[in-house]
Amino acid sequence: MTTSTRTGRRAGAERTVASGGGRPGRRGPRRPPGLPWILPALVLSVGLIYYGIGYTGYISTLNWDGISPGPQHLGGQNYSRIMHDPVFWEAIRHTVVFFVVTFVVQTVLGLVFAVLMHAKIRLGAFYKVIVFIPVVLAPSIMAPVFRHMFAPDGELNWVLQHIGLGSLAQPWIGQTGTALPVIMFITIWEWTGVTFVLYYAAMTQIDPSVLEAARMDGAGNLRALVSIIWPEMRGTTTALAMLGAIGALKTFDVPYLVTIGGPNHATEFLGTYIYRQTIPLNHVGYGAALSIILLVVALLMALGLQFAGRRAER
Amino acid sequence: MRLLPTSRLRPLSAVAVAALAISALVACGDSGDDKAAAGSATSGTINWWGWTPTDNATAETYISAFNKQYPDIKVNYKLVNISDWVAALRPALASGKGPDVFDMQPGAYVSQFKSFAVDQTPLAQEALGDGWKDKIAPIGISGLSADGKLTAMPVGSVYAGMLWINGDIFKKYSLQPPATLADWKHVCEVLKQNKVGCFVQGAAQEGFDQDTLQSIANSVQPGLWTKASTGDAHWNDPGIVKTLGIWKDLFDSGIMQPGAVGYQQYPDANNDFLTGKYGMVMMGTWYTQYATTKAMTAALSAAGVSGAKPFPILPVAFPDVAGAGNTSEMYGDADFGLAISNKSDNQAAAKTFVKWLTTAKEGQQAIADQLNDLPSLKGVEPDFDNIQLVDPATQKDPVAQLIEKANAVTEPRESLLTADVQDAILAAATSVATGKASPQDAADTLQKAAEAAGVTFK
Repeated sequence: MTTSTRTGRRAGAERTVASGGGRPGRRGPRRPPGLPWILPALVLSVGLIYYGIGYTGYISTLNWDGISPGPQHLGGQNYSRIMHDPVFWEAIRHTVVFFVVTFVVQTVLGLVFAVLMHAKIRLGAFYKVIVFIPVVLAPSIMAPVFRHMFAPDGELNWVLQHIGLGSLAQPWIGQTGTALPVIMFITIWEWTGVTFVLYYAAMTQIDPSVLEAARMDGAGNLRALVSIIWPEMRGTTTALAMLGAIGALKTFDVPYLVTIGGPNHATEFLGTYIYRQTIPLNHVGYGAALSIILLVVALLMALGLQFAGRRAER
Repeated sequence: MRLLPTSRLRPLSAVAVAALAISALVACGDSGDDKAAAGSATSGTINWWGWTPTDNATAETYISAFNKQYPDIKVNYKLVNISDWVAALRPALASGKGPDVFDMQPGAYVSQFKSFAVDQTPLAQEALGDGWKDKIAPIGISGLSADGKLTAMPVGSVYAGMLWINGDIFKKYSLQPPATLADWKHVCEVLKQNKVGCFVQGAAQEGFDQDTLQSIANSVQPGLWTKASTGDAHWNDPGIVKTLGIWKDLFDSGIMQPGAVGYQQYPDANNDFLTGKYGMVMMGTWYTQYATTKAMTAALSAAGVSGAKPFPILPVAFPDVAGAGNTSEMYGDADFGLAISNKSDNQAAAKTFVKWLTTAKEGQQAIADQLNDLPSLKGVEPDFDNIQLVDPATQKDPVAQLIEKANAVTEPRESLLTADVQDAILAAATSVATGKASPQDAADTLQKAAEAAGVTFK
């Protein structure tokens, strides 16, 4: 975009000066002047984050409970076991389904809400608050509410029974077919507010004259949305897709608090499976190997989405 | 703008990095050496963490009885839900900032936490003499010992293998406790016709699924479950396959409540039973405490029922679900022992507390009278003159018989199972219940998982 083009030009100019204007005979490359200033942060991030990743990578080659001395070195056996672990693949499948469904629904809802709020509807500020409130509520607070709501004798079934749809009443979080949709519903409820806010902010950047010109050319609301607003939102959508994908890979709180990854692994995600292996089952090495795989998948996904976004911008 | 030339900063950076590294090493170097006999034996503050007693009121009863004799030792009880126990305790113990005294359960927990526990053999000898092993229920000692070390002093034992029924509901609908699978289905039909839930189980929690499965297995072939646990029989033995088939029938016939595999025993099933939504629940002798007015009232309050009238609960034998004429025997372990952290700064006071609760007659009488555990010290029994049951006329005999029967139990409950095998049992139970696997397939998978977990089979 504009900013990156400018930065690129400036960097190119600096490279020209450095290569052509340096004093002959100077030994080695010039030391970047900012190093002392970033050193504390560098030490902290290398020490805490990258050391942590490296140590997790080391642990992933062990058969270890996390406490006992003398862990057994396994090499890559944990990784090969993961490749044959049906629960791991189930977790991956859930992650993909979860990402696709939550991203699509949140995008549609967020976009529609943003468009409606820009239409200066009555009590708009009130609706904005209503849509955004779930974002600030902690999942640990809401989980018991949802557990109760979706229980066999919960509010959802009560409502269904009182509107003549009693045949649809069922134990929503107690059966494998409906537990994952419940988790996705809760996530959509929780995070649509963020999608809405980002789209709402992005829409304020659209030049009103473009929309005005479209109106003069006879474009209706739907045509303006599809042909002008939606294309202008591409950068925001890419960012949301990236956040959604990484969020899906990191999903832990809602499935753990509402269904504990069950029933029968029906809502198992990589996060809950890592926890299950590492803490209750004490397979710290296996859990570390799962964590490394999670990290690699997250990086690849982020790079893939970034690449796809740039291609789409071109 | 440069405040200092880079060349002058370089040594400073090196010093900073070195200082960070050294401080990190120093922090890591605070190893968990034993702090034997640290602190005073008669005063101080000790922190006790446990998943049981499952309510603070019971723990406070023990503590206040202890404080009558040792007023200068303050005991803080922290109740941790059993599902969070490992996650909470492991980092707390490893950091050295955790509890001075913590609950220990036979089986998987002993192997996980034995390295943090002080050997309590000297404490037992000091309190009970050289013949201390003869004075304590043997089921408590074996399960809490590992590597020649007594990791915790047994407080009391629990036994399972029975159902608890809501006496008021059964009386209201003129029902008899089920003796067979057909009876059980009939009771459920009657209750459902009257819009009352029949049997509630938290089938998402492995420990409670194991109880029901072990009871079914005891009905199919007494002792088979224990043999599979020790490796003397295979988990895909035809008897276990039949057990899983009956387990599936409990779901298909509507004995189990809808959505049982998404239920936790605590709090879901427990709350549903205590609030009168269901007529039966699978709980062990620890549930005897709710036969008392005091504990039942507190439990109802904890379940969110204000001003509710306590109702009488009654223990009944697990039905002969296999129809083979086998009365399902009970099984049990030490419920919990009290371990002392080897990183505690208050070990002397902690030993005083543990010694009193586990070996003193007053401490064990307090345990017995709560009816949460059967005391580990031989010769101590509940004093029913001081225990107020909700309905003594209907409860006193069944409760007394239950305690008498439990004292003769020798079949272990969970102490033979590792965490991996327990996880595999849960997987088998839920996959059969949800129809994802046949009983035979689930049993075969369970057998493979047990072999992978290191169990040696004959």
